[in-house]
Amino acid sequence: MDAITWFATNFIGLFNEAAKSLMGLITGILPLLLVLLTAMYAVTTWIGEDRVTRAIQWAGKYAITRYSIMPILSVIILTNPMAYTFGRFLPEKYKPAFYDSAVSFVHPVTAFFPHANAGELFVWVGVSAGVLKIAPDKYPTLAALYFMTGIVVIIIRGYATQWITRVMINRGGHQETFRRFDEMYEAGHIQGAKTEGGVL
Amino acid sequence: MTYSAVKISKGRGGWGSGLTLLPTDENNIVISVTGGGIHPVAAKIAELSGAEVVDGFTNNVPDAKILCAVINCGGTARIGVYPKKRIPTVDVYPGEPGGPLAQFITDDIFVSAVTPAEVTVAVGATVPAAAPAATLSAEETAAAYKADAARKAAARGTGFSGFVVGFGNGIGYLINTLLSSGRQAVKLTLNTIIPFMAYVSLLIGIVTYTGLATWIANLVSPLASNPIGLILLGVIVGLPFLSPILGPGAAIAQVIGVLMGTQIASGAIPVQYALPTLFAIDGQVGCDFVPVGLSLGEAEPETVSVGVPAVLFSRQITSPLSVIIAYGASFLLI
Repeated sequence: MDAITWFATNFIGLFNEAAKSLMGLITGILPLLLVLLTAMYAVTTWIGEDRVTRAIQWAGKYAITRYSIMPILSVIILTNPMAYTFGRFLPEKYKPAFYDSAVSFVHPVTAFFPHANAGELFVWVGVSAGVLKIAPDKYPTLAALYFMTGIVVIIIRGYATQWITRVMINRGGHQETFRRFDEMYEAGHIQGAKTEGGVL
Repeated sequence: MTYSAVKISKGRGGWGSGLTLLPTDENNIVISVTGGGIHPVAAKIAELSGAEVVDGFTNNVPDAKILCAVINCGGTARIGVYPKKRIPTVDVYPGEPGGPLAQFITDDIFVSAVTPAEVTVAVGATVPAAAPAATLSAEETAAAYKADAARKAAARGTGFSGFVVGFGNGIGYLINTLLSSGRQAVKLTLNTIIPFMAYVSLLIGIVTYTGLATWIANLVSPLASNPIGLILLGVIVGLPFLSPILGPGAAIAQVIGVLMGTQIASGAIPVQYALPTLFAIDGQVGCDFVPVGLSLGEAEPETVSVGVPAVLFSRQITSPLSVIIAYGASFLLI
């Protein structure tokens, strides 16, 4: 009988514990997330894909904007994973670096724009929930710092991967292939004109 | 009389897989139910198909004669009325199935967020029996309707009532976009976020109740409670053979994130380390996804074969580096 009681108590106890944690998440995070998501979807609809696409193409020209403004806008507007489709505006040799830069931003972005990667919120939400509990006044600072440090990190990743990609091209004897890709790009041969997905 | 098929696709933020409409002699009226006047979308459909366009607010058209209805509704009433009668419906606002008539709004008869740009001639679907004389008559009809539309537009564009209609349309667009965004947000919450919360909660429940949390925390805390350990964690998750395994769905990063959060809340890990922790547990981000991400960017196969190792090797350097940067930045947190 003791064993049954023990089992029953702990069986319920375990799920009570889980339910308590679910309740905390739903009352604590969900309302904020819902209104934020609504606002962001509306804003991205109003801005429109055409304008964003133009801004992205401009940003792709220079290394510093290619690994800062370009991935940031892509991730916020097109969201994960459609953000990587903007890589198509770049010459082949920059695509891995752009991907690395963009993908590294999909978690820092959630500090302010949770809609951009709503399926993977808990990297940020998990850690920040602890800070929110023990030092609530530090929470906004942490959010801002995560976002900004994220930007610094994606710039560095962009440059680093661009450099390593070049090394790999030279080591692997792909210079000829990539020179051809560059010529095609110069000739205005951007592949594919289709745009799809994201919140647009 | 000759008619051509028109293709109407969904616009930005719209819903539906698109409609292809071909008028017949019995079925040749485009009805514009857009608060008075002929909406440009209705005019374009009529122009391209050869059908007649009628203002549904001032004229009554038998349902049987309607080719399609053009509406401006993101809400719940008009959006379902025509689909319920199985009349193809073109919504100029980003509406989605909703409201009491939601079950009638199906993608074979409904498309939304349509602008004139989304209305095109369906290729290869023109009615073949068109004689030159008949084509002429179609042109006449088009001309007649154009004059008619111009007259109506003029009537609507002037004076106070024109302003009211314009203002109303502006507000309508604003509200409808917000409403449809809200619906999108709720759908995402239901489909993605709440299921994840349920799963994470169950996991946390098990982990905390069984004491596994303390055990894992004891294992990770020594790493997470000093900068060197965090950098080491960054090195480990960035290992080129490990990072693609740790990546998928950020599942591991998220679970560790939640565990770290509970450790910070309990005071086992100082608040200042929250920032470097965020980067230390996430150095592998996207490493599982490189080929897919590159092909989304329409990369050539050669780029993929060079890019995958490039990203993985680069991460080996930048993963611990990001922890160091974050550690530096974390002093602003004190």
